[in-house]
Amino acid sequence: MNQNSYKIITNNPLVLKKLDKAYDIIFHEISYEEILREVRDRIHEGHRLLSHPLSGSVKPNETPYKSILITKGKEMKLDLKSLELIENAILACGKFHFKTDTYTSETYKDFQLIDWTLLESGLEAADVW
Amino acid sequence: MRLEMGYIYIKDIQFSGESKIEDGTLYVSEESAKAVALEDEKLKSVSFDIARPGESIRITPVKDVIEPRVKVEGRGGIFPGVISKIDTVGEGKTYALKGMAVVTAGKIVGFQEGIIDMTGPGADYTPFSKTLNLVMVCEAVDGIEPHEYEKAVRLAGLRVAVYIGELARTLTPDETKVYETCTLKEGIEKYPELPRVAYVQMLQSQGLLHDTYVYGVDAKRIVPTILNPTEIMDGAIISGNCVSACDKNPTYVHLNNPVVHDLFEQHGKTLNFVGQIITNENVYLAEKQRSSDWTAKLCKILDLDGVIISQEGFGNPDTDLIMNCKKIEAEGIKTVIITDEYAGRDGKSQSLADADAAADAVITGGNANQVVILPKLNKVIGTLDYVTKIAGASEETLRGDGSLEVELQVITGATNETGFNCLSAR
Repeated sequence: MNQNSYKIITNNPLVLKKLDKAYDIIFHEISYEEILREVRDRIHEGHRLLSHPLSGSVKPNETPYKSILITKGKEMKLDLKSLELIENAILACGKFHFKTDTYTSETYKDFQLIDWTLLESGLEAADVW
Repeated sequence: MRLEMGYIYIKDIQFSGESKIEDGTLYVSEESAKAVALEDEKLKSVSFDIARPGESIRITPVKDVIEPRVKVEGRGGIFPGVISKIDTVGEGKTYALKGMAVVTAGKIVGFQEGIIDMTGPGADYTPFSKTLNLVMVCEAVDGIEPHEYEKAVRLAGLRVAVYIGELARTLTPDETKVYETCTLKEGIEKYPELPRVAYVQMLQSQGLLHDTYVYGVDAKRIVPTILNPTEIMDGAIISGNCVSACDKNPTYVHLNNPVVHDLFEQHGKTLNFVGQIITNENVYLAEKQRSSDWTAKLCKILDLDGVIISQEGFGNPDTDLIMNCKKIEAEGIKTVIITDEYAGRDGKSQSLADADAAADAVITGGNANQVVILPKLNKVIGTLDYVTKIAGASEETLRGDGSLEVELQVITGATNETGFNCLSAR
């Protein structure tokens, strides 16, 4: 899968800094949960999830940043597995104590970095697949 | 494969002019240990401290916990492919220093590291309040990237643990235990009536700062494979991750994995412990599919009757856990999964981010969202600068009286998903 086959949906400004214009990046200054909802809408349009919508260690609502890979092309049929994953991720958002407004700028940088490392790991896989 | 583990019980640690172990006391030359730690030019400084069980000490931000060991007979050395030269380990004779640990601390990714309290309510939740801890707080040179800092601290901790372990090379162990596995054919002939059981261990592998290494190989680059379970006792698997403290597996847990030890305990009695399958937890969905396909395939090839699956971390790996469980069950093999829960502060929310009817035998390490109050302690090793930024904490964490209101997530090992923790429903 090359860069023409996937899109990145993100609210992480570090992603914009790290990746050049060859990548299809949709950047919005919205919340973690809103990113998940945006991805859900696109799944309903026929896109498929390529990377998992949850992080491996940072809980939703603990970090404000999320970057997700989806297919660039739309398919006629709704991908039910993608829908299930994204709906479960949206549900997971509800159970974490929201507190991201209280962090210092240094912590925001750490959150951006962790989201970037997860995306980068997904991109490496996407580029060889 | 036969591995004889010799246990040497450490009863105290003291700083001294010379490093040695005498009558159960570990004497550490700070100067020599420092030289070992600072072999890496990426580290600017390291300071050593000792934290004993019951002392009013808080260690934070904790990165890794390591048990010192030395290989005295057989192939290879401790932490093969990382500290020792590459060779297949898990046979011969190995000594372990019991009752103590090397603890690394540093502000790598502030919000991701953990807390170890040596006394008070926090101590009840971490297994590492019961060990004598030689703590090393590592500071990196200026301008270094976080992942380079992580690597430098990871390797410094392992080097110091090996340096301490070497001090035991000529000692006589206080206790000896033998772990022996058979080949597939021997196992079938020896225990024809016993169920064939294996352990599937999932390793955190989601990218920089989230990695685990197997013989020095980044686990996100492996396809699932089979280990002889004694290999982990020589340090075949090491932790390289900075994920939430409560449910990551520090290197100490890899060395002492309770699933492996309990399966050995039952081997030849109630079951035939066939082996250990390791798999990863990558972020890309197609990789999750490949790894879970392979894990199920290996279980089938080994003709297993039952499997215990342990997870590492939360969220994204819940999907790997359920994929593994579902596909192995579909091969007609019974599974038990070990996980932990993020069920909200009130414990009422869905515990996992993924689920399936096949996951009908589940062991939990506890609810990581549970709130605990940690009273102010007299001494801090490391820094409290980051305590409000650790996962499970917030700016309101540090209360007026100096106590901390946090979720269990912040405590190193609190909800460990191999069962190496203190929470129990009993």
